[in-house]
Amino acid sequence: MTGEPVPWDTPGPLSGPIGVPLVDLLDRVLATGVVVSGDLVIAIADVPLVRVSLHALLSSVSERVPAPWPDGGPL
Amino acid sequence: MTQRASGPAAGATYVFAVTRTLDPAVVADLGGMSAGEPVRTLPLGSLVGVVQSVPAHDFTDEAWQQRLSDPHDLERCARAHNEVVSASAAYGPVIPLPLATLYLSDTRARQALESEADRFHAVLRRIAHHAEWGVKVYSSPAPPPAGADRPVPSADRGRPAPGAGLAYLERKRGLQQRREQCLEQSLRIAEEVDAELGKLATAARRLRTHGRRPSDAQGSQVLNATYLVAEQRAQEFAELTRALRGRTEARIELSGPWVPYSFISEV
Repeated sequence: MTGEPVPWDTPGPLSGPIGVPLVDLLDRVLATGVVVSGDLVIAIADVPLVRVSLHALLSSVSERVPAPWPDGGPL
Repeated sequence: MTQRASGPAAGATYVFAVTRTLDPAVVADLGGMSAGEPVRTLPLGSLVGVVQSVPAHDFTDEAWQQRLSDPHDLERCARAHNEVVSASAAYGPVIPLPLATLYLSDTRARQALESEADRFHAVLRRIAHHAEWGVKVYSSPAPPPAGADRPVPSADRGRPAPGAGLAYLERKRGLQQRREQCLEQSLRIAEEVDAELGKLATAARRLRTHGRRPSDAQGSQVLNATYLVAEQRAQEFAELTRALRGRTEARIELSGPWVPYSFISEV
């Protein structure tokens, strides 16, 4: 592990948590990431961004319903 | 939610990210996804989750559909998620989980995430001392109308109003050809930019290009790429982007440094 702080939140010319362009943020927050369990692809209006399929996710971790896949995730 | 099996507490655990170590104070003051409960760390064996307890009834499938259909809510969620993920990178590499990763309890979250520990460690090794940089290239603005510099053709087959329709068609065809040439050139520039920047990057990915908005008079997007760049090369990468901007005269936008969202699902 490194103790060196990484300046993610330093407001650079085009960066910073608030200053980041929304469309670029959505590219990353919605479209990528380690999918642990559940299928996360959302459709917002007609734009196929991501469809949240949380129902399956929440059901799968409910005590009453067994997970639909072994080992906790499709990956 | 259709299943209210979790009892009267009806809480859920929202997971933002997984990292190796984190001082809880770094995220404690952030708002996260839901007011009321603090963002906190959840020990996961050799790893740490960055989580928040949220009311389950606010985070059902239906609630998400509604929330993510509202542009303001979508933006708020995306920024809140990214804020926590970015802050979590204070002590080293961090793996962001996708927006809306929820478990019914800390116990369930721990079970699911600990079983992925090997994969998480591999990803953390890969992205350590790296950041993601986004690069977008736009085609040149639409070419000027081609009519002015085109001679009106002379009489055509002896008709009385010679060539007016033909000239119009030729002007249109010329305009279309110029547009196509312009786009071809822009695509060539995009390939060149991607190839050059790719040499400095540890990994590269093409993202879906954004559709053209009516307000966008600047030409359409021909490249939406993202690069995993080592910390010590970040400056060189930015300088190369500037140089490419000067050389190609194309509109090139650079964004970053990002937590490497786009480079964590490939291990």
